Order: sequence, then C-alpha cells, then structure tokens
Amino acid sequence: MSVNKYKSHVLILPEDDANRQIANGFILGPNLNQRNIQIMNPSGGWSRVVEDFANSYAPEMRKLPERMVVLLIDFDQDEGRLAIVQEKIPLELKDRVFILGVLSEPEKLKRTLSKSFESIGINLAKDCSEDKYGLWGHELLKHNKTELERMIELVKPFLFGDTASG
Amino acid sequence: MLQRLYIHNFRCLENFDLSVKEMPSALFIGKNGSGKSTIGIALGVLQQIGRGINRVKELVEPKDFTRGRSDVPIRFEVDVLLEGKQYHYELALELPDNFKELRVFEEQLNVAGTPVYSRKGAQVTLPKHSGNLEAKFLVNWHLVALPMIEGQLESDPLPTFKAWLAHMLILAPIPSLITGDSNGETLEPKRDCSNFGEWFSGVLGSNFAAYSQIDSYLREVMPDFKNILNPLIGKDFKSMIVCFEEEQAKLNVPFKDLSDGEKCFFICAVVLAANKSYGPLFCFWDEPDNYLSLSEAGHFITTLRRMFNDSGQIFMTSHNPEAIRKFSNENTLVLLRKSHLEPTVVRTLEDIYTEGGFHGDLVEALIRGDVL
Repeated sequence: MSVNKYKSHVLILPEDDANRQIANGFILGPNLNQRNIQIMNPSGGWSRVVEDFANSYAPEMRKLPERMVVLLIDFDQDEGRLAIVQEKIPLELKDRVFILGVLSEPEKLKRTLSKSFESIGINLAKDCSEDKYGLWGHELLKHNKTELERMIELVKPFLFGDTASG
Repeated sequence: MLQRLYIHNFRCLENFDLSVKEMPSALFIGKNGSGKSTIGIALGVLQQIGRGINRVKELVEPKDFTRGRSDVPIRFEVDVLLEGKQYHYELALELPDNFKELRVFEEQLNVAGTPVYSRKGAQVTLPKHSGNLEAKFLVNWHLVALPMIEGQLESDPLPTFKAWLAHMLILAPIPSLITGDSNGETLEPKRDCSNFGEWFSGVLGSNFAAYSQIDSYLREVMPDFKNILNPLIGKDFKSMIVCFEEEQAKLNVPFKDLSDGEKCFFICAVVLAANKSYGPLFCFWDEPDNYLSLSEAGHFITTLRRMFNDSGQIFMTSHNPEAIRKFSNENTLVLLRKSHLEPTVVRTLEDIYTEGGFHGDLVEALIRGDVL
C-alpha cells in the first residue's frame, strides 16, 4: 500500500538528484517503516523546492493533518537561507515542515566522507534510529540540530520501530 | 554473493564483464534492446545447469551466437562468494561445422583457487585430492558435466555451489499464467512464475515459519488481507484462495482472480520469505514494477532492496521512473548499445555522472536521451 495519507507520514522534497540519493539511503536505514515515508521528485533548486511546497504541498497539508514535509535543500554556505525558507512556510503549517540539508552542498559532504550519497543517508537514518547524533554532528550537518530535534520528536514514534519490515 | 559475471558471444553480450562485488542490490537501465533481459537469460542458463539440466541443446541454441558467429565459442563465467569461499565456474560452448547442436568446448570449477574439476571437450579431469589419485574420464560432449560431478568429501563445497545456482530466482512474471493451482512442491520457480502455487507450497513445506513473513508483507500492502487457504481440491491438487476481511465483512477470492499487480505482491512476499528460509538467494527480477500502481512501485522496490541488503542479492531492470529513482548512481548500471550490430557495454551511472555525462534530474536526463 502506498503512504496512507490519513495516518502519520512524511514526504521528502529533495532539491536535486544528490539529495534524492541521500534520501534513498535514509529509507534503506535500519528499523525504518518505509511505508510511512515517500521521496518526491527533485525540484531542481532550493527556491524551486520552496515554490513547489507553496503551490502543491501546502494546500494539501491543510486538508491532511497527519502529513509532514521535509524540505531537503542545500544551504550553499548561506547563513540566512534557513530564515528565508522559514518565512515562506505558512504559520499554521510550520510545526509540520522541517528544513534540512548540507551546509554547503552534498557533493562536498560526499568527498569529505568518501562515502556514496546513499551510504550517507543510511548512516543518518541509523543515527536517528539509535538516538545518536553521530554523523549529524559533522561540520557540514550540525547546523540542522534544532530542526532535526524538532522533527525527530514528531516522527520517531511512527517512522522508526521494531515493527519495520519493509 | 555474485561478484563477477562474464559472458561472451551470447546474443548481444560480447566480452561482457560485469563486476558486482559488494553490491547487494542493483538496477539495470537501458533502452529497449540494450541487453537487460539478456543478462537474465544468460543467468538462467547457469540456473538451469544448477537445476540439473545438462543437455546443451536445452540450454542454448545456434541462434544464440552473436550475429551467428559460430566459429567463436559462447562463454559463461561466474565468480561467486559463498560461505566465505570463492567459486569460479566457466563454461564454453562451441558449434563445429556441420553440427546442429552445440557441445561443450571447455568447463571448469575452482574453489578458492583450487580446481574441483576441469574439462576439455569430452575429457573431464578430477585433480589429485586428499589421497585420491587424479582421475580422468570421458563424458558426452553434448552434456554439461557440473550436474554429474559429485563431491569427493562430506565437506566438499560443490553442493553449496550447485544449490546456489539451482535456487537463483530469475523472474519475469506473467500474471495471467499464475493461477495459484499446484500439483506438488518446488523451491525452483519458473521465470514466468507459472508454477507459483508449487513454489508457495514448497517454501512453506521447507519452513512453515516462512508464512509469517508472507503474512506480514501482505498485510502491509493490502491491509484487509486475512490469510491464504490452499485446500486440496483433487488428488495431489491444490488451489490457492485469498481471504480478505474488513470489520465484519469477509471475501474469499480464488488466486487466479486477483489483479496482475496483486499477484506481484504475492510473488514479492514469497521472494522475501524464500530469501529468509533457504537463502541467502540471488534474484534477478526483470521489470518488477510492471503491473504496479505509481504510488506502490517505489515502496515495492525499496522493500526488496531493504530485505536483500540484509542478506542475499537482488538485481532488477526497469523503465519506471519511480523504480529508477529508488536506486542511486553507484548501484544503477547503464547498458549502452549503439546499434543492433554492436555489443552491449555496461557502466555505472556514477561513472557517467562523474564524467559529466548528464546534469540535473536523472529521469529527465533519461527522457532527453542524455544518459543512454
């Protein structure tokens, strides 16, 4: 069965193909209920992610209270980007929208770690499952801490668990 | 785990060298006619040998030579790592002038670099082994020797390799042929899964605990699934019935009346259960997303990847954007073929991307023809 839109679920909106592959790894992670998470098509740039969210996802989210959305973007070393994107999220949806991404871009993280995007995603999911900060504490990822903690609190009960079989 | 596959002079595969070491799951993509299904057919030849089919004419035909080039042998080689031991098997088949049927040109099996047997033409050689002298004997040129060779010791690794070959799952299901009827049990499903009922019975017969895995997966994809009945309806003849239940309402559906996509859910459930029960298995599934809805295809692929990442190995082919997006650059293998007169070449998507072969979204690049 596809994601059940009437039960708690997460949609991931990746900025590009590199972020899509990280998300792919994430859903291959251990103890993850992959039927409660869906990776959408890459938008083609962080501003397009925001645009897609505003045009297509926000209206649906208002009707579907169990839907949560992760905007997976590159921060391109721009310290103000998080605030810019947050401003575009309607107030009533802010609790259910999370903005995550690599401080520069995923390619730099891949080079630094000498791992594939998919392996990076698997490690990030493993850390979430085991309540570890691990790879999330990397120089290029640690800025996500506040958003990550906010997200984990909401999604962990239905996204990770011993019942995950597929 | 399959580590390397080499195929030469077989259909569109010439000097085709596929390295898949440490790759528990992979996706083959390529244009129509690029050779994706041919890889499955070549693996099927090895599977059939493992299942005891050793008459060469039942494995390959003269038309299988690349562009009819019968003056060069067809060659299959596999390197497999099983229980910590490295197996290398080679089989070369030739068609001498005026012959209608191919015959064995060369054959050998090595384990951890040590020959188990080797063969040139009709002559098979078993090397000196634990006090036994070297043995030489002749076999019919038209028979592959592997199914006839028995291990010399109890700890002989030969049965492990034969079982691995025999249990390979090479699947290209045709749901309309799958009725759920059975007349016995098997652990060897056919490529089109037309013996699904026998396979289902065989998996449960070998390990009844497999049912809980089947049940668990089916409840995920069909929340109203209750159970499967497989009653005897004649002498040694069973027919599967699928029971659904929601609140107080119940519905029993003969397996043959399920939709094509639903039958694929059952195949997936049994693949997962088989891998756990008598695996780790190697599975090649040609276009597993066929017949599935767009919202289901991605989950279906990810489920298979997750389960085989734990143990076993699964290779798939696909043209479906949702399935393609569920793999990443390092485990997506692109088959390229410039024309029907040229051989298939394989490259990882990672290599193509690194060389600037495409930019932006993968699926859009595939639609534009930038990758293939």
